[in-house]
Amino acid sequence: MEQIFFFIFAVVAVGSAVAVVAFRNPVHSAISLMVCFFQVAALFILLRSPFLAAAQLFIYVGAVMVLFLFVVMVLDLGRASFDEPVFHRRIWGIVVVLGLFAEVVYLTLKGEPSHIKGPYVDGAMMNNTEVMGTLLYTKYIYPFEIVSILLLLALVGAIALTMNSKGE
Amino acid sequence: MPEMATILEVLFIIFKVVVVTMILFSLPLPLTWMERKIAAHIQVRLGPFRVGPHGVLQPFADMMKLMFKEDIIPYKADKRLFRIAPIISMVPVLAAFAVVPFGNDITIPFLNEEVSLYIADMDVAILYILAITGIGVYGIIFGGWASNSKYALLGGIRSTAQMISYELPMSLAAIGVVMITNSLSLVNIVNAQQGWHWNIIYQPLGFFIFFIASLAEINRIPFDLPEDEGTLAAGYHVEYSAMRFSFFMLTEYVAMVLASVLAVLLFFGGWNGPGFLPSIVWFVVKVSVFIYFFMWIRFTLPRYRYDQLMTIGWKILLPLSLFNVLITGFFLI
Amino acid sequence: MSDGYILEKRKESAVETFFNRIFFIDFIKGLSLTLKYNLSRSITLRYPDEEKWIPYKRFRGQHTLNRDEYGRELCVGCELCAKSCPTDCITVIPMEDSAGRGIADRVARVWEVNLTRCMFCGLCEDACPTEALKLGREYELSCFSLSNAVMDKDRILIAGQGEPLDLEATGAEPKGWMKVSLDSIDYITPLDFKKGDRVPANYEGGVNAAASLERTEDGIRVVPDLSKTKKWW
Repeated sequence: MEQIFFFIFAVVAVGSAVAVVAFRNPVHSAISLMVCFFQVAALFILLRSPFLAAAQLFIYVGAVMVLFLFVVMVLDLGRASFDEPVFHRRIWGIVVVLGLFAEVVYLTLKGEPSHIKGPYVDGAMMNNTEVMGTLLYTKYIYPFEIVSILLLLALVGAIALTMNSKGE
Repeated sequence: MPEMATILEVLFIIFKVVVVTMILFSLPLPLTWMERKIAAHIQVRLGPFRVGPHGVLQPFADMMKLMFKEDIIPYKADKRLFRIAPIISMVPVLAAFAVVPFGNDITIPFLNEEVSLYIADMDVAILYILAITGIGVYGIIFGGWASNSKYALLGGIRSTAQMISYELPMSLAAIGVVMITNSLSLVNIVNAQQGWHWNIIYQPLGFFIFFIASLAEINRIPFDLPEDEGTLAAGYHVEYSAMRFSFFMLTEYVAMVLASVLAVLLFFGGWNGPGFLPSIVWFVVKVSVFIYFFMWIRFTLPRYRYDQLMTIGWKILLPLSLFNVLITGFFLI
Repeated sequence: MSDGYILEKRKESAVETFFNRIFFIDFIKGLSLTLKYNLSRSITLRYPDEEKWIPYKRFRGQHTLNRDEYGRELCVGCELCAKSCPTDCITVIPMEDSAGRGIADRVARVWEVNLTRCMFCGLCEDACPTEALKLGREYELSCFSLSNAVMDKDRILIAGQGEPLDLEATGAEPKGWMKVSLDSIDYITPLDFKKGDRVPANYEGGVNAAASLERTEDGIRVVPDLSKTKKWW
C-alpha cells in the first residue's frame, strides 16, 4: 500500500519537475514547481515526518512560490528572455548535472529507498516535532545557528540593495 | 482479513469525512442568507424577504440561478488555468477542516462506540492549517492571471502581497498559543484550556493580532483589497460567472468559518463551557458568534488603502507579534 | 456648544489619543452604532405584497376633480389651473351647461392633465377658486402607454355621478359651494373608484397599512386595508 503511494508521489514529482523546465510559459512552470513541492511534502509524510511536510508546504508552497509568481507576474517575463541561447554555458551545465546525478545514484544505492518505516503510531507521528526540535537545539545547534545567520544576512542584504537603488 | 474493529474505524473515518464535507458545502447557503440579512438590518433594510418566510429560501434560488447561468470563459484567457483556479482556491480550505476538532468524544448510542469529533488529530495541526490555507491564495492568483484582464490581475497581485504580509503575524500570534499550551495539536490546545483557562486571558495581544491577520487572510473588509469594488470592479473574479464564480464565494464563506473556528479553538477554549450543554453546542455557539462578528465588522468599517494595509501588516502587526512571542517567552521562564 | 451649528471637536490629549488607539475606542464606537441599527426596526416597507404607505392628507398625488354635497361638479372651467401651471400640462376647454351638472352654468368639457409633464407642484390646486381641483393621495401612476398618462375628466372626476350624497347619514349641513369642506365628504380617489376600495378624504394618513397585491384583467393594483394600520417611523 505504502509502496503504491510512494510511486504515485514520486512519479508525479519527477514528472512535474520535468514540466518546470519544459513549459514555455513561466507561470505554467511555476505551477509545475508547486505541484512538485506538494509531492515532496507527501513523500515527507510517508517518511514519518509530518513536521517537515507541513514546513515544506508552509515555506516553499505558501511563501516562496507565491513570491516567485508575484515576480513572474509583475515583471511580465516575455518569451524573449527565455529564448536567450545558453550555448557557452552548456558544458558547465552538463558537468553540474552529471555530478548531481552521480551523487543521487550513489546515495540511492547506498540507502534503502523504499524501506518501510513501520506503522503510523504515536511514537512515530506524535512526537515528531518534539524529536526534531530537540535534535535541532542540541546536536545540530551550530549548523542551525549558522543557517539562521546566513538567512539574516540575506535579509539585511536584500534590504540594503533596495535602499541603495532607491537613494541614488 | 482485517479485524472488525479496524473496518469499523475506517468506516467511521469515511463517514466523518463525508459528513464534514457535506456540512461545509451546505454552510454557505445559510451564511449568505445571514450575511444579507445582517447587512440589511445594519442598513435599516429588510433584506431578502420574498422567497420563503423571511427569505430563507433565497440562497437556494441563488444557487439555482448560478447553476443554470452560462459559464463564460474569456476568449484570451488561459483556459485550463482559468478552469481549475476556483477549485484550487476551494480545496485547501476544505482540506484544512481535516484536522479541526469539533467537540469532545461522544458515544454512539447503539454501537457503544467512542467516536472522536475530528477526522485526524495531527501533531502539527496548526502548522498544517496555516500551511494549507496559504495555498488557497493560488486560486486567487491563478484566477486573476488566467482571466487575462487588468482588474483580475491587479486583484491577484494584491492578494499575493496581502497573503504574504499577513501570514507572518498570524503564524506568530499562533506561536504564542503554542508556547503556553506546549503543543501543536488542536485537541491538546483545547484540552489545555479547560476550566475557563481560555487563552484569550493569557494572550489578548496575540488574539488581536490573530484576528486582524485572519481578517486579511480571508479577504474580508476592511482588508478585502483583492476584490475591491471601488477600484478593481470585482478583483480576481471579474471574469468569472456561474458555478466557477460561486466556487470562489463558497471558498470565501468556508474560509470565514475556518477563521472563526481557529479563533475559537486557539483563544476561546474550543468546546469548553458550562456543562449544561453538550460540548459541540458550545463550539457551534462560539463559532456563530465569531461569524456574526465578521459580518458585523464588514458592514461597519470602510476599506483600507493598499499602502495602509502594508503599513499595518509590516510595521505594526509583525513587530507586535514578535513582541508578543517575546513576552510569552519571558512569562514561561 | 449652546446652540451653535458647528460641532467643534474637543482636542484630545496625547494620553487620550494613545488610550483610544490601544483599546480601539473609535472602532468600538462604530461597532456599537451599527449594532444599534442592527437591532432597530427596519424602515423598509414590504410594498406591494404586504404593506402600503398611506400618505398624509397634504400629499400631492394624482389630481382629482371634486363635487359638492349635492353631487354637482365644482369645476367651472375657468382655466385658472391651466394658466397657473408652470409646465403647461393642463388643458381645459369649458362649455355651457345649464342642466345642473355643475355649480354654475359653465362646466369643463375637457379637463386633461398630462402626468408625464406634471411635477405635482400643486399650484393648480392653489389657483382653483372653487376648490374643485385637489391633488389626491393616489401615487401608483405607472402605465404601459403614454396615452394612459394623460388623465382626462372621466378618470379623475370623483364618484357621485350627479346623485347627491346621503346628507342625513353624514350629518353634514348643506353649505355654500365656496365653503365645501373636503373633510366632510367621503369621496373615493378616482383611480380606485371602480374597484370599490376607499381611502376617505378625511383620513389622516401617514400610516403604514396592511395591503394585498391584486391581479386583475386591468392590471395589478395594491389594495390597502385601512383597518390594519400602524404608525411608521
